[in-house]
Amino acid sequence: MTEPTRPPWQQLIYILNQLYNIKIMAFQIESVVEDQVAKLTLHGELDSLSARVFQTEIEKIANQPIESLVLDMEELNFMSSAGLRVLIYSKQKIGPKLSIYIVKPQELIVDTLTKTGLQHSVTIVDQYPV
Amino acid sequence: MMESKSFPGNVDSLDSLREYVGELSQQAGLAKKPTYSLKLAVDEIATNIILYGYQEAGLNADFAVLSEITDKELVLILEDVAAPFDPLAKDLPNAKDLTLSLEERGIGGLGIFLTINGVDEFSYEYADGKNRNKFVMKIAAT
Repeated sequence: MTEPTRPPWQQLIYILNQLYNIKIMAFQIESVVEDQVAKLTLHGELDSLSARVFQTEIEKIANQPIESLVLDMEELNFMSSAGLRVLIYSKQKIGPKLSIYIVKPQELIVDTLTKTGLQHSVTIVDQYPV
Repeated sequence: MMESKSFPGNVDSLDSLREYVGELSQQAGLAKKPTYSLKLAVDEIATNIILYGYQEAGLNADFAVLSEITDKELVLILEDVAAPFDPLAKDLPNAKDLTLSLEERGIGGLGIFLTINGVDEFSYEYADGKNRNKFVMKIAAT
């Protein structure tokens, strides 16, 4: 199958649309570790498929001395219990002294944290450092 | 009239499943919050079907979403051909479990807890060799 030929301007719009769809749909994570603070920025939707990627990132940083785990969730649009499980896993893997900060979670994700009682074990903040 | 759409039984389907639930919710006129709750509930049950009903059992099969929109409610049924599994048969986390700190927690039961908590009605039946997980969202009268 060959792609239908489009005028260049249509082709450009098509490519931009594709990129936009990928950007909003796919889960992405960036992580930086500095001064015993691990900052992970999560984008997209966190389900049982993408939770594997999240968990792998946690495993990568778990052998370093980490005091605080900062999760920037401003761009995260969805989180299932698979995501909650990785939060629980982080604490169990890195250690009970680990402080977990969740930066700017969307309202519906805060609902999930509240309903499941996890908001007592994490600190929800507008920015980090607080 | 029930509408039906089928999805391959693997976790790569979850994204398109949620998108489809979003489309149905929009057709039914659900607001943002109930839409999210329904997406979450369907995602949780579908994840269980895929991981435990199919993958763990070595079963390669599709699952289906049946749906119906009336002026009162959106009814959605997840139908799969895995071994009978009643998600309601398992103990849900109780009030005490939900106050435990992260270190003390078990990891089970949160998904089904969020499911039941997020929809207006949730029920399960096994009939004609199929598991049927049914979700009902009431449509607010305007």
